[in-house]
Formats: sequence, C-alpha cells, structure tokens
Amino acid sequence: MAVTEQNEQSENPLLEGLRLRRTPEPCALVIFGASGDLTRRKLFPALYALALRRLLPEQFAIVGVARSEETHEAFRDRMEEAVREFGRDAFQQDVWDSLAEGIRYVATDFADEEGEDCVDACLAELDEERGTRGNRVFYLAVPPAAIGTLIQELGERRGPDGWKRLVIEKPFGRDLATAQELNAKLAEFFTEDEIFRIDHYLGKETVQNMLALRFANGIFEPVWNRQFIDHVQITVGESIGIGSRAGFYEEAGAVRDVFQNHLLQLVALTAMEPPIDFTADSVRNEKLKVLKSLHTPGPKSVVRGQYGPGFVEGVEVTGYRDEEDVAPDSETDTFVAAKLYVDNWRWADTPFYVRTGKRLPRRETTISIQFQRAPHPPFEDIASEGLRPNVLVVHIQPDEGVSLEIGAKVPGQGMTIRSVHMDFLYGGAFRTGLPEAYERLILDAMLGDATLFTRTDEVEEQWALVDAIAAAWKRDRASFPNYAAGTPGPAAADELLARDSRSWRR
Amino acid sequence: MALSLDDWVGLDTTVGRIEGRIRELRRAVEQDGVPDLRTSVLTHLAWVPPAYEQAATDTLAGLAERHPSRAILLIPDPDAGSDGLDAEITLRCFSLPGLEAHVCSEVIELRLRGRRSIAPASIVAPLLIADLPVFLRWRGRPSFGEPWTEQLFELVDRLVVDTSEWLDLPGAYAELAAHFDGVAVSDLAWRRMLPWRAELAALWPGIASASRLSVVGPHADGLLLAGWLRSRLGRDIALDLDERSEVEAISVDGRAVSYPAEPPQTSSDQLSDHLDQFARDPVYEAAVRASQEEHVFDLET
Repeated sequence: MAVTEQNEQSENPLLEGLRLRRTPEPCALVIFGASGDLTRRKLFPALYALALRRLLPEQFAIVGVARSEETHEAFRDRMEEAVREFGRDAFQQDVWDSLAEGIRYVATDFADEEGEDCVDACLAELDEERGTRGNRVFYLAVPPAAIGTLIQELGERRGPDGWKRLVIEKPFGRDLATAQELNAKLAEFFTEDEIFRIDHYLGKETVQNMLALRFANGIFEPVWNRQFIDHVQITVGESIGIGSRAGFYEEAGAVRDVFQNHLLQLVALTAMEPPIDFTADSVRNEKLKVLKSLHTPGPKSVVRGQYGPGFVEGVEVTGYRDEEDVAPDSETDTFVAAKLYVDNWRWADTPFYVRTGKRLPRRETTISIQFQRAPHPPFEDIASEGLRPNVLVVHIQPDEGVSLEIGAKVPGQGMTIRSVHMDFLYGGAFRTGLPEAYERLILDAMLGDATLFTRTDEVEEQWALVDAIAAAWKRDRASFPNYAAGTPGPAAADELLARDSRSWRR
Repeated sequence: MALSLDDWVGLDTTVGRIEGRIRELRRAVEQDGVPDLRTSVLTHLAWVPPAYEQAATDTLAGLAERHPSRAILLIPDPDAGSDGLDAEITLRCFSLPGLEAHVCSEVIELRLRGRRSIAPASIVAPLLIADLPVFLRWRGRPSFGEPWTEQLFELVDRLVVDTSEWLDLPGAYAELAAHFDGVAVSDLAWRRMLPWRAELAALWPGIASASRLSVVGPHADGLLLAGWLRSRLGRDIALDLDERSEVEAISVDGRAVSYPAEPPQTSSDQLSDHLDQFARDPVYEAAVRASQEEHVFDLET
C-alpha cells in the first residue's frame, strides 16, 4: 500500500525526503448537473488528466446526476467522447477504462426526494464495491436557483460516515442578500472548511504565478506600491459572445459573470500584502483585507456597455439583443469598466482600472503594472520620444507569461531611446504542459485544501461592491448598444482613463 | 517535437571559435520566418566516456524539451593519438503549441582528444550560461581525486551520478561521501528506489524493529536501501542481496514488501527529476554513509 497523507509524518522517520505526491483519500465525486457543458468540456477532461497522472485515489468513483434520462453506459460513452475531444492529453484507452469502471449515472430532479434516495443508494453501493468509505465531494454545477434546494437535501442526508465536501460553481448568489442567504443555508449543515466556492481563475497556473512573481522575487516587492506604480490595468476580455448561455447571462451580465468574481480576485491578488504562509486562511485573510479596502466607485467611475453588431476576427456577428433568447430591449451589460481605489497605506491614490467584456477584439486576460516615468531622463526630448514608462505585464491567457517593457538605446549614432519588450514565456521555460485550472481545483477539493477557493467573507465583500455599482444603474436607463462587436468597448471606457491623462493598453 | 535547425562541426577547433559560432546561431534569422526564443533554465554538462555515448544522446533527446538548457557533452578520448578539440553544435528547437515561435537551445558536443582531456573545466567554463545553475551528469564512475574531476566538481552546482554503473561498491561510496560538502549529489539509483522507499515507509511502525533486509536487485540499490533504513531507524540492519539488473523483490524480516504501483521511469524522466532539485539531500547522504556498514549475505554461497 502506498503512503498517502499521513499525520504521523513527524514520527515516521522514513517519510523524510520522500516528496510524496499528495493523493486524496478514497472518495466518490458526485456531479450535480452532469448533463451540462461544464461536465463535458472541463470536469471529465480534468478527471481523466488526473487519472492519467495517477493523482486520483485507487478507490474512487464518479456519480453523474442530472434530469435527462440516460443509462450508465450511455453516460460513460458520452464522457469518453468528451475526454477524447477536450482532453489535453493523448487518449489512452486503458486509463479511461479504469476510470470508467467507477462511473455511474443517476437521472433525477434535484429537488426530488425519491431521486435523492437513488443517489444515496448508488453511493452506498459504491462504498461497498469501490471502497469509497462514505467520503464525498459533491460538485454543484447547477443553475443558481437549484443550489439552495440541493444544499438542504445534501445537508439533511449527510450521514455520519466519512467526510463531506461541497464544491459550488459561480455565481454564488446574485447579490449580497442572496449570497448571505446561501451562506446561512450552508452553515446549517456544513462547516466553512467543507465548502469550496470555485472561481476557476484561481486554479490557473499563471494566476498562481502572480504570487510567485511577487513573493519569490526580491526585486518587485520593494517597488510594488504607490510610490513607484502609476496605475494598474486589469483586462479580462473575451472575443466570443454568450453562446447558448442567454438564460444565465440575461440575469447576470458581465458585472456578475466576471467582474464580481474573476476581476475582483485578480485585483486582490495584485494588491494583497504578503501572507505569512501559503495556507488557505493566510492567503484568504490577505485577499479579504484588499476587498474590504476597495472604495466603492461612484457612477462616473464605472462604465457599462452592451455590444451591437460588428465584426470579430473578420466574421460578421450579431448584436447582443439579436442573440438567441435575449430580450430585444435587454439592458444587460456585456461590458464593464471601472476605476477602483484600494484605500490602504500601500495603494492610496493609485487607480486600478479594470475592464471585462464580451465580443472584444481578442481573448486576453492581463494584469498590467505601469510604473512611474523616470523622474529626469538626461536625454534630449526627441531622443526619448518613443520611450514609454516601464510596464510589467502578467499574461494570464493566452501566451501565459510575463513581459517587461524597458527603454533601450537604438543601435547607431547618437542617443535614441525606444521601448522594447523583454518576454518570459511560461511555456518556453517550463515545457511540461500547464494543467487545466479544473485539474488543480478538483484535486485540491478532494485533498481538502481550500487555498484557491473563495471564502464566505470574500464572496460577501465582492457582492457588496457589485450591489453598490448595480444600484446606481437602476436609477437610469442605459442607451444600449454602445459598442460594436470587435471593438475595445464603449467610448466612455476610453474617456474614463482619458480624464486621468491615461489610456488603456491596446 | 524537436527540430534540429542548424548544425556546425568544427574539427581541431578552439573555444573561441565555438563561442563565436554560438553567438552567430543566436543572431541567426530563421529561414522559415518563425521567430526563435532562446530559453534556458540551466547548463547541463555531461561527462560521457565513449562507452556511454549512445545512452547519453538518447537521454538528452528525451530531456531537452522538459528542461530547455544549453547541453554540453564532454567526450574524453585521452588515447586518441593526437591532441585537439572537436566540436559539433546543434540548435535544437521545439514548437510551442498555439504560438508562432520556437523555443531553441544549443547542444554542444566536445570531443577532447589526447592532452585536451586533462583540463576539461578550462574548456567548459567559458561556455556556461552565466548565472544559471550547472548540473553535471557523470556517466560511469568518476575518478575521485584526479585534478580534471575535481576541477569539474568545483565548476558545478550539482553532480548527478548513477552508482549502479559503479563496480567497486560499497568502497566507492566512501569516496563519494567525502565530496558531499563540496558539491550537492544526486544518484539515479536512489531515485529509482523512491517507490520502494514509499512502500517501506508505509510499514511504519512495524518496520521500526526490522533487523534484516533482503533485496533481489542491483548491488547499488540494495546497499542504498539498507543504508537508508539504518540511518533513518538508527539501528543495524543486515542485508541479504541477490544481485539482478533490476529490483525484482524486497522483503523485511522475511515479509515481502508490495511491489510499487508507480510505473518504471525512463532514464530521461529520472534525470529530469534531479534537474529540479538544487539543495543537498541529507537523507541520501546519510544513506550513502550508512551503506558502507554493510552486512551482505551472499545467497549463492
């Protein structure tokens, strides 16, 4: 039997230096909403990648739960197809077969008592057959409206054997009140360390690399403050539209889909103080301090937008209001930009310009740190007219890496300075394929490590800010659409920075 | 997938010419118009006596993509009949998924003929990439105490050996142990035993009172495992060794240890693991020292 996590590490002298991989304890993963796109595109490819790397426990099972009628075999076949299509590794039949042996499917309505009985019976059988010991990870990939009922059902049936963990997909509520309601419901049955609110951005290697960049390098932290940084820009841009998500998106908009979670988490990671260690609470405590320090932006500091028809990558696309299942007079935002201030000693008066939108010219997530200009370049004005301030850009996706814009002399006579890019391409130095965010997060949930998940208080702080922004929007009617698909957003977003004599990175 | 974009061979050449050629390669504009990125995370030196040349080349081929590095193969040929330095430089490039760029690094093969093999450190030093760690994979058994060996050890951050290639164990372990304070050492034989060590650790606490270890496997692997148990448990442990080319079975006090589930690694995988380690390994060093207190019971006699 291989050694897994052991508490007796300190007393077993043979464990020292073994550098054992963390392998979860035997458990069953129950996916509610198993017929959805997330399960097919992300969850099963991630589970297969974990199986291929032997990171799953030997005693492991997966139960898919959804309303659609389907047999175990049909579900397995569909998931095999999904792994072949969306997996990052070459498909190995033996690895899949071994994983598939523990896959079951239960067709039921989430709120149906009898259906829940079927899930329980299936899990009890798997405990017997696969040795999963009553340990469960419940993955709630269901519409927000179904989460409350599921929590109630799962909580009432949690049983005394084994540990139970809940992974909850975003959005967690639709405002502060509903998030608090959900948190209260969860607290009736589960402790905070059993709850894993997923924000898949935190599972991305390059987002974690932000922490490495800041806290593993002595050169950045001394200048990571208002004295040396002029401003920060964070962009989460998508070139795609809403696809088949109109039902969700009409309710959420960009502000709830991306701003409330991904964007604010990126702000927190950029602005946080160094944690004392890398444990879940230390990291989350520091992020929370940033979220609490965020000054609520006034209406003039927030821009919302909605795309109209246009061209993306040369292809003509419809406007948001013409998308399937979208109301023709929809006021849903597909773009949000804001100027945020982190009101603390480190960042006072340093603006964080953030933006997210759909149907922008390109898919791009970046954190850009623009430093102050050199105070007195000793060159003639004409020599340095091509010189821009130093900018450190963390590329989250695509082209994961870091680039630094620096001034360099143009070869030849005289002294002419130009800005050049020094690029560190993540995939160039570390040639092992980057794991998908869901691989890391599913594994962490099975291991009980909540460092990369969002805590109750973080979620509530994020919602408080979004509620304040959305409240202002209720007072006046937006004149949508206000930007063409394939352009960088509404003109007002440019004006937001132009008022400060700045501009967005292109 | 690796592409060898450029090759240069210099017979009876000089280090200066080699450096010049490396610079030229760096400046070269690719004919296919695809930009090259030069990325290195270390300099990988390999001391490769001719008998190991093919094995070293194979390992390198499987390694370069994971650890982009300048690789310098030193092939000593002291009996060549003439003195001289022959070099072959290959630019190895790997395409990056989804990107219009290659990641490239150099492989420099140096044949040290005659007296040019007595001071290899002086040839290699100008070719190291500044500020990056230097790993030296020594094929076969190093001639400890010889000036060329010691000079190379002084140049590098980590020495990687495979003591299963050594024929005079456990005596050679004493010489190796004498170098621990000078250079961090990795041993591929030690890495190969990792899954078995994990299996043995899982026998805690019962294994605390073990007195006899039986290994059906390579000499080095048996010695290191016994040394490890002795040093970690702080007690004398006798070793029964039935020598084979691979570990086939292990038992403690007559009880068989489960065969590890981890599949065997390729030589590139094994070396790759060591290239991620920078610090000294005190557990290994203690195992090497304790391996010399061996009590081998030859099963054949």
